[in-house]
Amino acid sequence: MDGCQSGVPTYEGDLHVVAAAHHIVKALGATKNLSDDLRKILIDLDSHLSMITSNIDSKGGRGLVDVEERLDQAERKIMRWETDPMMIWDSGPKEASDYLEAVDETGKLVDGLRGLSVHENRKQKEILHRAMNILQMAMSRLEEELIHILVRHGQQFEPKHMYSRSIRKDIVYDESFVSVEDEPIKETSSRNYSNDESGECIVDLVHADVIPDIKSIAKVMFTSNYGPEFCEAFISVQKEALEQYFSFLGTENLSIEDVLKMEWTCLSSKMNKWTWSMKIIVRVYLASEKQLCDQVLGGLGSVSSYCFLEISKATILCLLNFGEAVAMGPHRPEKLLRLLDMYETLACLLRDIDTLFSEEAGSFIQLQFHELLERLGESAIAAFEAFRVAISSNGSLYPFAGGGVHPLNKYVMNYIRMFPEYCNTLNLLLKNQHPGVADQVTEPDYGLDASLLTSCPMAYHLRSITSCLESNLHKKSQLYKDEALQHIFLMNNIHYLVQKVKGSELRLFFGDEWIRKHNAMFQQHAMNYERATWSSVVSFLRDDNPGSSSMSKSTFKERCKGFSVAFEEVYKTQTSWSIPDPELREDLRISTSLKVVLAYRTFLGRNLAYTDDKCVKHTVEHVENSLLDLFEGSSRSLRNSRRW
Amino acid sequence: MPATDYQASFLGRISIRRNQVIAMDGNHEQELQDLELFSKHVSERFAELLSSPDDVPFDALLSISWLRKLLDFFLCCEAEFKGILMMGNDPSQISKPPLDRLIPEFLDRSVKALDVCNAVTNGLESVRHYQKLAEIVVSALEQKPIGDGQSRRAKKALTSLISAMNVDDKECSAAKATERSWSFSRRGVSSKDRVPEHFRSVSNHVAKNWSAAKQIQAMTNNLVPPRGAEGSGLASPVYTMSVIMVFVMWALVAAIPCQERNGLSAIHFPAPKQLNWAQSIIGLHEKIGEEWKKKEKKGTAGLLDEMQKMEKLGNILMDFTDSFQFHGDITDQKAEEAAAHAAELAEPCRRMEEGLLPLQMQIREVFHRIVKTRTELLNALDQVGKSSPPLL
Repeated sequence: MDGCQSGVPTYEGDLHVVAAAHHIVKALGATKNLSDDLRKILIDLDSHLSMITSNIDSKGGRGLVDVEERLDQAERKIMRWETDPMMIWDSGPKEASDYLEAVDETGKLVDGLRGLSVHENRKQKEILHRAMNILQMAMSRLEEELIHILVRHGQQFEPKHMYSRSIRKDIVYDESFVSVEDEPIKETSSRNYSNDESGECIVDLVHADVIPDIKSIAKVMFTSNYGPEFCEAFISVQKEALEQYFSFLGTENLSIEDVLKMEWTCLSSKMNKWTWSMKIIVRVYLASEKQLCDQVLGGLGSVSSYCFLEISKATILCLLNFGEAVAMGPHRPEKLLRLLDMYETLACLLRDIDTLFSEEAGSFIQLQFHELLERLGESAIAAFEAFRVAISSNGSLYPFAGGGVHPLNKYVMNYIRMFPEYCNTLNLLLKNQHPGVADQVTEPDYGLDASLLTSCPMAYHLRSITSCLESNLHKKSQLYKDEALQHIFLMNNIHYLVQKVKGSELRLFFGDEWIRKHNAMFQQHAMNYERATWSSVVSFLRDDNPGSSSMSKSTFKERCKGFSVAFEEVYKTQTSWSIPDPELREDLRISTSLKVVLAYRTFLGRNLAYTDDKCVKHTVEHVENSLLDLFEGSSRSLRNSRRW
Repeated sequence: MPATDYQASFLGRISIRRNQVIAMDGNHEQELQDLELFSKHVSERFAELLSSPDDVPFDALLSISWLRKLLDFFLCCEAEFKGILMMGNDPSQISKPPLDRLIPEFLDRSVKALDVCNAVTNGLESVRHYQKLAEIVVSALEQKPIGDGQSRRAKKALTSLISAMNVDDKECSAAKATERSWSFSRRGVSSKDRVPEHFRSVSNHVAKNWSAAKQIQAMTNNLVPPRGAEGSGLASPVYTMSVIMVFVMWALVAAIPCQERNGLSAIHFPAPKQLNWAQSIIGLHEKIGEEWKKKEKKGTAGLLDEMQKMEKLGNILMDFTDSFQFHGDITDQKAEEAAAHAAELAEPCRRMEEGLLPLQMQIREVFHRIVKTRTELLNALDQVGKSSPPLL
């Protein structure tokens, strides 16, 4: 460096050396994959060499004048924009590159002059200050241009295109456990949420055309040591854009206290929204943000990940806090499926999170995600237990009118019909809930192998839930005074249970054995019903002396009357009973018919002599037809109907 | 117990306790020992916090390291408290009067504390931003010789820094956060010192209309020292822990930018001075309260020691950059002073760089701990099964 001012006579030689060096530096600088430090050194060297050239060129004296001229030129280009109302990058690529060139030139001059400033030349110091002043102005301007570009070319994307909101989210069980009255099934439980959605969806948060512009601004600002300014501006705009997008998704900030006080229906829809937003924010938005940061700031060491973390941290924490609040809320049974949704979403996103926040500073975020996942899992198990407890403790004071399918049964069966969709998650969570089945869990995926499915933890818990349900139904059946109605009630309900199991994936978990057993159970109740109701009625038709030809007329009359009264009584009561399933109703009528009508026909046939008597109130056909009125759920009477 | 008795000296209280001990079984005696030990530890820990020397910058009152110590102590006290309450002899105690009322109230307070933790975590994001701006000031002014360019670079960052510090508390109310737009009207801007407002607001508020001051005020609801016989039972650690929790949250809110702090100084701690363990807390409350009152009128981002230093040095350096521009040049002496102040400013920056993330993580730890204890208490209440657990 000293050589340039030592006034050695061999200017030409020096010039050649410097020119050669300059050439090499330029060639080296053009190499890609240079480390930042190295690139910086080369740039410094480049400006020093320029300075030396101009000094040598001017034979020692004119050097500074030359520098000044170059600075004047750059200053003109930079100052021109200070009064221009247009933004530079809006004005055209030529303007932008001219400006950048001038800034670059100024930066080089500053670096060069700094390198020389050991000599405390007054003039030189003055030029340096002037150059730095111009540089400051330009940097300030670049910062504005950056913000302008980011805001103007920032792009919002429609979340619709990213993830169609899964249909199953709209299924029924938002009602609380106690309020379910009727069967609210919509057959839309198809679940379009699976692993094939894990494909990366990256969008351009900022229009792709301007990325090179932003990059060039980043480059020149970092080269001039204005990196922190660049970062702060970049972070500010992008952070705000994310927050805006967040509210655009309809997600609002809620305090934990608010969440804990929230009504179930409201909370349920917020939980849905969370699941959905979380996926979009992490998979799409943050993945895209990360890409943007890498595109713009890649090659600047940890700057990119620092900016990314600063941009995303607050929003992520906000999402996490809602999860925490939900997990710490009361463990109501109706929360279970929503909790499982949240759990699965998070579990599914963990890999993305670990990649996005892989740097040390981001490990804090990673950790929070893992903690929340654990908490949601615990909460889901607690809700599962609450579900079981709610089933056992669901009490009634009065018998359920008509003996049909109890709402509790409908609620529980329709609810657990959703469980197979969550099979893997439930197995994972329930694994440790029952020591007996824990050992059998070795394969996380049970596939469709029926023998394995019936022995997975979920299957065990499903069966334990239905047995809770069954014992509660037995308790409820005791509320009926009429033994026959007890059996109708149990027949109806167990039949319903079996139908629900057979008609869904649940059958794979309950297994054929269970189904066989429960089929037999409701059939037994049907038989018990027949015995309880009809044995006494049919007993009037019994032939006391199978050997003799016929009974006396008075006995016949008495029997006939007894039968009519008993039949009418049954008719009156049991028309109000209900067997909601048409097939089951039909079956029971047929088998009743077989028993009663056959006995009646035989009875009348055997006593043909008396059948024209008025004491035969009902014809066989009439009895047969009347049986069709039973179990329709509306009380009728034969008394007032016309006499045959 | 009449009011006069209640005013009795600490020694008096002890003698009451001794008399009670005689009438009780050994189990209870153990419990009393635990309680004594607990309040002794509380007293010692807060005495240590109170005695933090102001002149040692590292441990100064409300410095980052002081806050971390405070949170450490909170976690220790919390662990001991839980030990007394849960691992104590008879778990069914927590469902009997007066705990059947005090525990749900305590849990309610816990939930409020969680929201305060989150508000403070958000606030730390702002502090991080101040740090970055201050670092720009430092790097601009540490260059030698200082010229107009660096001076203006520093001034620009300082303007952002000072306005961000002044604006945060008021601006962070929900409505304003989203209104700000980035549009720059270039027309009519002739000054070469445009300051693009790249300050970050605390836009991530806890919730609409949420107020840290009101929240803490609400935490003091029903918070009264146990009276009479209650004073010797488990009611007393519940009360102690409540006071600690309220104080810690209050101190965090006073130190760190936070959503809505109007009326923070008016919050009264119902901790009677004759309670030995409470004396240091009361002392700290008074000391910090005084500070807060002084700053409140001017509007302050918070009492965090590093932030206050930043603000003070920021103002000095702002004057310097103003005079620099006015005079065009400055004397060497002034330049040296400025350089010295810039070097001084680097100190809080460094401490923020080192301490903010750990502090944030520690607040999160406190958060998780409160959640955990709450869950355990609810489970315990559930198991005792006396009454249905409260919703909160």
